[in-house]
Amino acid sequence: MTRWELTKFKVQKTNEGTFNSVINFETEIIVPETRKSFIFIFDGRQFIVRGFEFKPSYLPYEIQHRLESLLDSVLIRELSKHSRKTEYLRAFSLTKISTYPEGTLANLRYVYNDKFLEFGSVLVIPPYKEPNRICKVPLTIETNAVSSVKSFYELLKMICSSAVRIYIDINNVNEIIKILLQKVGI
Amino acid sequence: MIVINCSRKAVQSFFMETKVKQPFLISGEFTYDLYLEKYPGQAYLYINKVRSKELPGGSKYQIIEPTLLIYFDEICALFNDNTDIDIDDESYLPTSIKTNGKYVFQIDRVVTTYIVNTELGLDEIKKISDRIEHVFRMKIIPLLKQVRLID
Repeated sequence: MTRWELTKFKVQKTNEGTFNSVINFETEIIVPETRKSFIFIFDGRQFIVRGFEFKPSYLPYEIQHRLESLLDSVLIRELSKHSRKTEYLRAFSLTKISTYPEGTLANLRYVYNDKFLEFGSVLVIPPYKEPNRICKVPLTIETNAVSSVKSFYELLKMICSSAVRIYIDINNVNEIIKILLQKVGI
Repeated sequence: MIVINCSRKAVQSFFMETKVKQPFLISGEFTYDLYLEKYPGQAYLYINKVRSKELPGGSKYQIIEPTLLIYFDEICALFNDNTDIDIDDESYLPTSIKTNGKYVFQIDRVVTTYIVNTELGLDEIKKISDRIEHVFRMKIIPLLKQVRLID
C-alpha cells in the first residue's frame, strides 16, 4: 500500500430548491513516494484532478455513496435538532491535520446549516482499532449548537454513544482516498 | 457558580451561591442572596462570612453541618490529588476540574460557542459528572432546602 498524507478533506451538500441538492467535494492527498500532490475536486458537475477534468466526469458511485454516508452521520442529525432553519447545508470535513510516524491526527468537523461540532486532535488515520477509545483519550470539542452546560453534556454523551459511527466515518474517508489513488494509478 | 477544593479525597473548602425567597437577616441586614462557605482547616458552615451557628436559628444549621460536609466529601472521594472543581449551579455539572494546579477538564463559553478541553476521557468525565450531579440533586440541595438555605 502506498503511503499517503491527507492535507484536506471536505464534503458538503447544499440544497438548491426543494428537490435539488448538490454535493461538493474536495480533497488533497500527498504521495511522498512520488513527491506528488493530488487535488480532487467535484463541484457538482465536473470531477477534476490536478486541474484536469477527469473522465468520466461524474463522481464514481462508490465515492458518492460513501460521501452521502458521511453527510448522514448521526452527529449531523443531532446538530439538525438544534437548528430551527430548514436544511440548506450539511458538511463534513477533516481539518488541522498533522502527520506523525504512528499516523495522522485530525479534527473532525460536522456541520448542519449554521451549527457545527468539531472535535479531535486525537483521531488517527488509520483509525483506532478500538472504536470506543475516542471516549478514553484527551479531546478538544467545540460547538455552537447548544445553549447551556446541560445540553453541552448531552452532546458529549452523544459523541461517546456515536463512537462506532465515527469509526465508520474515518473508514469511509480511508476508503474514498484508496479509490481516488487507484483512479490516478497509484 | 459552585467551587469545591478537595485534598486527599476530602473537602477542604467550598463556596456556593444560593437564593432564598424569604429574606435572611445577616449582620443586621436582610438579603436574598446567600454565600455558603467552608474554609480550609475548619469544619464549619459559614453563611455570608458569618459562622452559621451564630445566626438567628443557628442551631438548625449546626445540626446539618456534619452531614453537609460528608456529602461534599462524597464528591471529593473521586479525586486522589489536590483538586479544584467549578460546578454550574443550574445543572450541577462540572465546568472545570483542576488537579495539582493543572486543568484536566475545562468548558469555556465564547459568545455562542462552547469549547471543552479535556485530558480526561469522556467516559471518565461522565462518571465524575454523574456522581457530582447525583450528590447535589439528591443530597446537598434537599438538605439545604430542609433548613431553607436555598429555594
